[in-house]
Amino acid sequence: MNRRVVVTGLGWVTPLGRDVDAAFDALLGGRSGLALHRVGTGEPSYEVVAGICREFDPVAEFGKPRSNQMDRFSQLGLAAALDAWSMAGLEHLSPEARETVGVHWGTGVGATATMDRGYQDLLVNKKARISPLSIVLGMHNAAGSHIALALGLGGPCSTHSVACASATMAIGQAFQAIRAGSADVAVAGGSDAPFGLGSVAAWKSLQVLAEGDQASAPRACRPFSADRAGLVLAEAGAALVLEDYEHARARGATILAEMLGFGASCDHSHLTKPFQDGQVRALRAVLRDAQLMPKDVQYVNAHGTATQEGDPTEIAALRAVFEADAAALRVSATKSMHGHAMGAAGALEACITVMSLRRQRIPPTAGCEEVDVSCQGVRHVLGVGQDAADLRVALSSSFAFGGSNAVLALGQPG
Amino acid sequence: MDTLELIRGALADYIDTPAENIVPEAVLADIGVDSLTLAELLFDLEDKHAVHLGDDIPRPVTVGDLVALVAPYLGGSGALAA
Repeated sequence: MNRRVVVTGLGWVTPLGRDVDAAFDALLGGRSGLALHRVGTGEPSYEVVAGICREFDPVAEFGKPRSNQMDRFSQLGLAAALDAWSMAGLEHLSPEARETVGVHWGTGVGATATMDRGYQDLLVNKKARISPLSIVLGMHNAAGSHIALALGLGGPCSTHSVACASATMAIGQAFQAIRAGSADVAVAGGSDAPFGLGSVAAWKSLQVLAEGDQASAPRACRPFSADRAGLVLAEAGAALVLEDYEHARARGATILAEMLGFGASCDHSHLTKPFQDGQVRALRAVLRDAQLMPKDVQYVNAHGTATQEGDPTEIAALRAVFEADAAALRVSATKSMHGHAMGAAGALEACITVMSLRRQRIPPTAGCEEVDVSCQGVRHVLGVGQDAADLRVALSSSFAFGGSNAVLALGQPG
Repeated sequence: MDTLELIRGALADYIDTPAENIVPEAVLADIGVDSLTLAELLFDLEDKHAVHLGDDIPRPVTVGDLVALVAPYLGGSGALAA
């Protein structure tokens, strides 16, 4: 028999700050955390619109020995996971109980700064060798390992690298493990810090980045807008503590939301071109998994990256799945304010969805003044947040390069 | 500069321990220098001073061990009384 799975903790480090309530308030207000950011100090270097966690100081947080042994994507992930663990009130969980707690993490691009440093030493500084820490900082599973180390968690520690769906896939796996009874508690989420010079150069070459100057940067990412102009890279870490419902109740934990279902699919059609049928399969899979009908869902935190092809495809998929209920379905893309956090995006947006359920308020798509005709047919939440006293069930979607799609269903506890 | 001062300066990039606590008898692990940090530190010292400490060096346990290990290569006195 399937067990119920609930969210008892969340934490994030975002371009809009670290404090969960304050950052969510900023999102509700339509405030953007995006700004111009210089990547690189020599030639070439790039000035890009970016979501940077400017207030995050890993040395102050972890001390030099530990922060030196982590790439920034691990630092962001560990900070978020520690916050989530603390919010869940699990500090006093016994060492024995921690031996069964797993970490399910996602990262898309991994340790871009570490890779840059290694190549810089080899190819520019002409060193015959590079830092002995390069492997341990650079491995994709470093963030998950640091979380397990810091919290003494002895269950499975897995890392999912599924581009922009990485964290959603990781959370889905954690959800399935708890639902099936193989663990009572899991830490799940994702982190990415894509501002290595090589990483940014690669994204620029793909010609999907929104451009802007100092004045326009905060509104450079305009999902669903007729004048949308591409995505904005961001760094972030975000984590949830998932827990068996009975386990959470027995210890008197505050239940933030219930995780109702998980659906995933692969387009198997193109590496980068979004595909409506693949997204439809993921959306139908999550509804089936959660035993929901389309009319049961009030809000979708969309993948919404503000690319020319991605946004219309996503809305078309929602129209196809929700049919007559699509017109009442509230949809927003919070990447318009925190940017696209790559492999962390799904965790950050799942946390935002939990907060939306908890506060009964839906954050907007900022910067979109005129919805593109190709993106119509749902009820877009634009400008500033909306009260949503009726909000019971929400989806959080991630549709990744490589054709990997993953969607979470979250609901009010109770 | 004697070698202990040099080590203190180099360690400042890696650990938070105040310089006055980086004394010869201090155990490296106790002041935040684990095996990975030690490897990074030795690479850094070799690069900065253009020396090679050898491929099969004894692993230092204390700050004093570290000073004794690198002093012959870095031209320092290795004066542990500093």
